[in-house]
Amino acid sequence: MKRPRNILLVDDEEDFLATMARRLGRREFEVRTATRCTDAVPIVASGWPQVVVLDVMLPDTDGIACLGRIKQAAPRLPVIMLTGHASMQASLQGMEQGASDYCLKPIEIDELVEKLIIAFNEAGASA
Amino acid sequence: MLDFLARLFRSQPRLAPEAVQSAFRDHYRSFRALITANNNALELMSATEDMLRSGRPFGMAFVRGEMTALTVNVYKMVRSLIALSDGRYQELDERFKKITDQIEAILSRQPEAAGSAQILDLTVIDRRVVDQVGAKMANLGEIRNHVGLLVPDGFAITAAAARHFMESTRIQDEINRRLKTLDVADLESLYLVSTAIQELIAAAPLPADLDTLLHEHYGHLAERCGGAPAVSLRSSALGEDSQHGSFAGQYRTRLNVAAEAIVEAYKEIVASKYQSQAIVYRQQRGYRHQDVFMGVGCLVMVDAVCSGVAYSHAPEDERSPWLVIHAAHGLGNQVVDGSSAYDLLHILRESPHTVAVAHLADPAAPCLSEDQARELARQALLIEAHFGTPQDIEWALDRQGRLVILQARPIGAPSKEASPPRLQAARSLVEGQTPLLAGGVTASRGVGAGAVHKVTCALDVLNFPRDAVLAVETPYPEWAVLLDRAAAVVSESGQAATHLATVAREFGVPALFDLPGALKQLENGQTVTVDATARRIYDGRVEPLLEAARHRPNLMEGSPIHNLLQEALTLITPLHLTEPDSPFFKPVSCRTLHDITRFCHEKALTEMFNFGHRYGAKDKSAKQLYVVGMPAQWWVINLEDGFRPDTDLTTPFIRIEDIVSEPMLAIWRGMTAVPWQGPPPVSMKGLGSIIAQSAMNPQLDPAVRSRMAGRNYFLLSRHYCNLSVRLGYHFALAEASFSELLTESYVNFQFQGGAADERRRRRRVQILGDLLREIDFRVEIKGDALSARIEKRPVPYLKERLVVLGYLLIHTRQVDMVMDEEGYIGRYLDRIHADIARIRQEMNEGDQT
Repeated sequence: MKRPRNILLVDDEEDFLATMARRLGRREFEVRTATRCTDAVPIVASGWPQVVVLDVMLPDTDGIACLGRIKQAAPRLPVIMLTGHASMQASLQGMEQGASDYCLKPIEIDELVEKLIIAFNEAGASA
Repeated sequence: MLDFLARLFRSQPRLAPEAVQSAFRDHYRSFRALITANNNALELMSATEDMLRSGRPFGMAFVRGEMTALTVNVYKMVRSLIALSDGRYQELDERFKKITDQIEAILSRQPEAAGSAQILDLTVIDRRVVDQVGAKMANLGEIRNHVGLLVPDGFAITAAAARHFMESTRIQDEINRRLKTLDVADLESLYLVSTAIQELIAAAPLPADLDTLLHEHYGHLAERCGGAPAVSLRSSALGEDSQHGSFAGQYRTRLNVAAEAIVEAYKEIVASKYQSQAIVYRQQRGYRHQDVFMGVGCLVMVDAVCSGVAYSHAPEDERSPWLVIHAAHGLGNQVVDGSSAYDLLHILRESPHTVAVAHLADPAAPCLSEDQARELARQALLIEAHFGTPQDIEWALDRQGRLVILQARPIGAPSKEASPPRLQAARSLVEGQTPLLAGGVTASRGVGAGAVHKVTCALDVLNFPRDAVLAVETPYPEWAVLLDRAAAVVSESGQAATHLATVAREFGVPALFDLPGALKQLENGQTVTVDATARRIYDGRVEPLLEAARHRPNLMEGSPIHNLLQEALTLITPLHLTEPDSPFFKPVSCRTLHDITRFCHEKALTEMFNFGHRYGAKDKSAKQLYVVGMPAQWWVINLEDGFRPDTDLTTPFIRIEDIVSEPMLAIWRGMTAVPWQGPPPVSMKGLGSIIAQSAMNPQLDPAVRSRMAGRNYFLLSRHYCNLSVRLGYHFALAEASFSELLTESYVNFQFQGGAADERRRRRRVQILGDLLREIDFRVEIKGDALSARIEKRPVPYLKERLVVLGYLLIHTRQVDMVMDEEGYIGRYLDRIHADIARIRQEMNEGDQT
């Protein structure tokens, strides 16, 4: 009984999205992408993703605000925050706002996959 | 949701079994998250400490990355514990915030604001304004104003000016953004980023006030020279040429700059702070980019007939009587670059400064006359005397025959690998002394001295004095217990790959192996110096060797980033909360992140194990396993389908026959495969340590059936098992999942031993790690914590390992108790190996029948 593993990637860099979608696709994840928060929220609201990977730098709003909107749409959906700037305060702020984890760019794909699997287990267990 | 449930349960402790089970699963999820975060946090702490000690280069990106990952994990632990405890320990939040705020304050500390003058005339420059003009210009001011030598006329554009320029352009954020994601090992991207940043700076306009000031000062210079002189613009970065690092040659210098090109040249030099080699250099030495400000010297060009470099000491040798001068015709960077033929003169430092010509580029036309060379030597020595260290001096001779000093800096900053030459120099001092022994194999580098103590049997071990030289015939692993007190190790046989050698390297104890006859040559009690690196043993203490060996080079030490990380670590790694039974073991006592992790970890275990109690005494979900002949009590909690469907659930006990969880049955089989014989005979030292530890914490006494001894839990489903064990003073977690899907099949094992001293704890996990590797676990050891994992293997394969793991869980603590008794440890290991072989054989036979 294999559950689908749906991920929504939100990041403003299209090249990055394309690469990550391909790499995660090879590891049997279903991936959808969005470059703006406004595009991401309806996908979240549709109930499709089981995990969201969210960059803190977005063109239309800052990542923390976007996290808030995602959490509003789906309070129990695990969100992994993604950032190129290692910042303790920003990361902790994200965690306080309900992010389930944090990942630093440049991304180690294995590290992200590990965090994704943990997030999926959480999502599955509380479903 | 969890909070809601928790409140519900608190007010209504007696719940339906399904509700209890669901609450348990929630708690258990928090518990697992906490344990994972704990492992991550400890790993990050130890990796950061390793980095600090290693001397390997790291930058702010590393520091920020590690700190972020660490704080996120500790945050998760705090949140998980609060969830797990149904809202208790809220005070941890406040402690956590306080500590992370302090860390953040250290990390974001701005470089000290220097004075506000944007331009300073050379007449007012000396060391006191070094934080405004940089070392190069400060030194030049010293030479002019305090040594009284001739230097070019000019002024300095200060760090404040550079900062004003950068701030007015508002490009710093963009620069930082590009630098943060830069991997300096990727040369192509390094070059691209470096070039792009320099272009950004060059394209930015100079603020109007700075532009005006610059032209005003140049105007004064022109008045004094009677014309519009060409100038040189030289970088004088703050932090450059300091005691801990020399950026010499890293930044740009522009010569023969005409009046109209000064602004462009100035920007070019400010931008050269981001030359690729400067970025790498800073990263290697631990300078933060934002700590380096570019002061720029603007000096009238000297119309030179010749120029060059003078070293007040021969650069490679502090004891040399010679001063060395390089000279070339004209002016420029030829000598520094090494790009042109030059004259090389050696001049005696002692008056009358006899000149010995080493080499002339053109014998018919030497650059300097003998008198000029002697005068230069005199000036060089004056500068050396003023600064107190040998100097590397750039000079020029103008058309009027006057010597002009262009720049001076200390020779060979100590960061230039001070240690190996020191050690070599020290070795050359003992060259005349015949070593007692020479040759062999360097098993662990270094130099150590002490009284020889030969060890051939267990009795010798007992009498081994602190700081003695351990002399053995064969490097048995058993001797490793002595390494924390041995000054050095000498062995007649053995290679660098032996276990003892590995441990010696880990402890930093010098070890020299494969020296036949060593035991005969060396007398018990005789003091010797073992130079394991050079493979020699000397009679007595050779102080210069020992002294020189003490200086381990750490290029990062003393650098701003090293200091910063070190300071941050004082809020992270020290552990104050050691005893869970102490009245001070509470959130307010947490002073570091390590304290918080320790607190959370301990309380999480307690909370988890108290779950049944807290959620009603008639908790039906936890059953005690009905067994005889096993140490401690074993509790079983059925998560899903781990019990036989027709099991009688009305009694507080469960029989092993009623359990259908495959992973649990495998572990249990191993645990019971060899009868438990009770605690083994404890060695005197082992006992001493255990008694000492138990006196501090009675729960740890293995001879006492304690509260902790009862807290062993299996959490089950048919294909899953999670076992938490506290046997004596060990804590272990074993988790296994069997599935047809390889990706969901694994065995995970974590072990941490409490009590005992650091050395014993490390040794203990090493032994356990070795045993687990033998059965194909992937083992990782960090300090005294071990984690081991096998994944993506078929179920029978995992089952066999799980059985062995169960056996080890029960029996390795016997090794622990006799760890100090060399004869015993080998014997116990032999027995464990024999047991494991038999268990595996039985399993395989069982499978065939």
